[in-house]
Amino acid sequence: MAEIKLKIKKKLTFPLEADSITPDNFVGKTAADIKKLPLFYATKQVTIGDFFDVTGKSTDVANTKIIIDGDVSNVKRIGENMTGGEIVINSDVGMHIGNHMSGGKITVNGNADDWAGAMLQGGELEITGDAGHYVGSAYRGYWQGMKNGTIKVKGKVGVESMLWAKSSKPSNMWPTLYCGSADAFLGIHNHGGTIVVEGDVDRCAGADQAWGSIVIKGKASRLLPSYKKVGEVNEVQLPNGEVIKGKFIEYSGDHTITKETKGRLYLAA
Amino acid sequence: MVEKVRTVKDVCCPFCGTLCDDLEIDVDLKTDVVVEVRNGCQIGTKKYFSSNPSDHRYTKPLIKENGEHKEVSWEEALDKAADILVNAQRPLLYGFSSTECEAQSKGVVLAEMLNAILDNTASVCHGPSLLAIQDVGASLATLGEIKNRADTIIFWGSNPVHAHPRHLSRYSDFIRGYFRTDGRNDRYIIVVDPRNTHTAQVADKFIQINPSEDYELIQAIRAVLRGSELDVKEVSGVSIDDIKELVEKLKSSNFGVIFFGMGLTQTSAHHRNIDTAIRLVTELNDYTKFILIPMRGHYNVTGANQVFAWNTGYAYSIDFSRGYPRYNPGEFSSVDLLMRDEVDAALIVASDPGSNFPAAAVKNLFKHPLIAIEPHKTPTSAFADVVLPAAIAGIECEGTAYRMDTVPLRLRKVKDAPGECLSDKEILERLIEKVKEKLGE
Repeated sequence: MAEIKLKIKKKLTFPLEADSITPDNFVGKTAADIKKLPLFYATKQVTIGDFFDVTGKSTDVANTKIIIDGDVSNVKRIGENMTGGEIVINSDVGMHIGNHMSGGKITVNGNADDWAGAMLQGGELEITGDAGHYVGSAYRGYWQGMKNGTIKVKGKVGVESMLWAKSSKPSNMWPTLYCGSADAFLGIHNHGGTIVVEGDVDRCAGADQAWGSIVIKGKASRLLPSYKKVGEVNEVQLPNGEVIKGKFIEYSGDHTITKETKGRLYLAA
Repeated sequence: MVEKVRTVKDVCCPFCGTLCDDLEIDVDLKTDVVVEVRNGCQIGTKKYFSSNPSDHRYTKPLIKENGEHKEVSWEEALDKAADILVNAQRPLLYGFSSTECEAQSKGVVLAEMLNAILDNTASVCHGPSLLAIQDVGASLATLGEIKNRADTIIFWGSNPVHAHPRHLSRYSDFIRGYFRTDGRNDRYIIVVDPRNTHTAQVADKFIQINPSEDYELIQAIRAVLRGSELDVKEVSGVSIDDIKELVEKLKSSNFGVIFFGMGLTQTSAHHRNIDTAIRLVTELNDYTKFILIPMRGHYNVTGANQVFAWNTGYAYSIDFSRGYPRYNPGEFSSVDLLMRDEVDAALIVASDPGSNFPAAAVKNLFKHPLIAIEPHKTPTSAFADVVLPAAIAGIECEGTAYRMDTVPLRLRKVKDAPGECLSDKEILERLIEKVKEKLGE
């Protein structure tokens, strides 16, 4: 695998928009070529070379691995639209990491800001720390957000994560989020997304869920009144085939959408 | 008898989103000050009197030197303002809601030239409504329809008796309409609020709910409307029986309307409150005619949204940094930008973020160069490096404003502006010329 190392060399006053940092854009390029790719800083167009030290070179998409070092907590949109390859970030990272990604893998060894993995179409995003609001969500005004792929967040996810997630049985696409704990409105407007929470969630999980599964292994601070208890189960089978063992109370909802619903929320008993 | 005053009739009041268009203003012929305002509410009347010369009114352009404001010429002040904007790397243009549409469109031009961030006060008031409308659409109507047809009126998280004082008498409650010939007696008023407000005290039904639990209550109403039997006995302090009774009342009305205010948009859940309220209205339309209208605060904040939207495609929180407009509240909205300290200069037009933004945001705003286009002394203008004195739109200059139901109305000029004040539009035009010069365009 061809490795390309990027190390940030400046402290940022304003956010840097780095939508060109993807394996797709680096294909077949040497370090010198990569340095010429455009970035946006405040109102100016700059280059990767202005802000990063670059070493290594790339071959094809699948075999390209980008490793980013230094403080990139204010660098936005890394991995936007990527279709393959790998990105490893050894720092906190700014907004929109891996948005619209359809393949490959991004690992963030730190925290991610808002809109991590927004509109994800495939691939895998792993965050070892916390993530901001709108993880794996739809952008403003979209009725279909994350359609496929997996997001794993070890820590907490912010409000309205997995907003408007949409699965597809014929295409075997099951958008899935694993997280440590979650803020309010987790999985709002869910249309088939799968969410597994290791810990607690804040109010209104699964609001306006049409169908889909939300599994909460901890507590929910305020369950919606429009959810109704169905019974108790000893294991939960997720649509992607995975089975989660444990005692759960099964709720159906959200009953605001239809009188009878296929939406399910499982809360640890 | 010699006339001492001249009377201007059918004046549109530039205070709140109700935009009453029947005011009569008496202006003293000799001194050109407002001496009497008829038909207006207390707040609107005060605004007319506030235009009279006083200690609070700016009459000359000011520049801050050694911590003190110093009077300068327009040329000098505009030059300094243009310098600040051109030298900034990430300027913010904010405000625009208390001025007229022509000035707002100049703001868009300036923002595009500077690759700036353009935002209006919707980002701290009804921005969430716009987000929700974008997500799930909305059924709206004009206030005339409410006056003539509505028989069930819900005020949710809004208190028009104080915030829109003539709303009840002009459009929504006491007024007689074509199909509501007996006015108040033909209407059923419901108020939903955590507090027993003065609006609640004139209502037929007051539903007192727990603070910040509006979302859960609307969800429960929707589920009951769908015919579901809920597991719980009480939601947000309201019993299920009361919810069932309310649902029957809503279903059996002829024409219903929900007026909602900051109580929904700026409590926790924000745009999701409106999202679910809109869906409730949509579902009620299976049974009867139902609509909802946001109770917009500033008289022309609706206009700011309209003008920005027809020019850029987006109503607020617009970023031009890449040369084309982008929109993302949370990322490009003023308060969030200021909290993250991403702005290095600001132009504030007809607004006072200094007194209503969070303290941390205000601190960051005052850290950097600041320009205020402002008729009165405000906490924001007191900290401004350049103050450009404006004539008050709707009192000292003409223009167009949009009522809360997006009906455009013409503002009138009733008197001249004091001192060297210019209209917001003219100030922005001159500023654009200066900026053009400096950018070498």
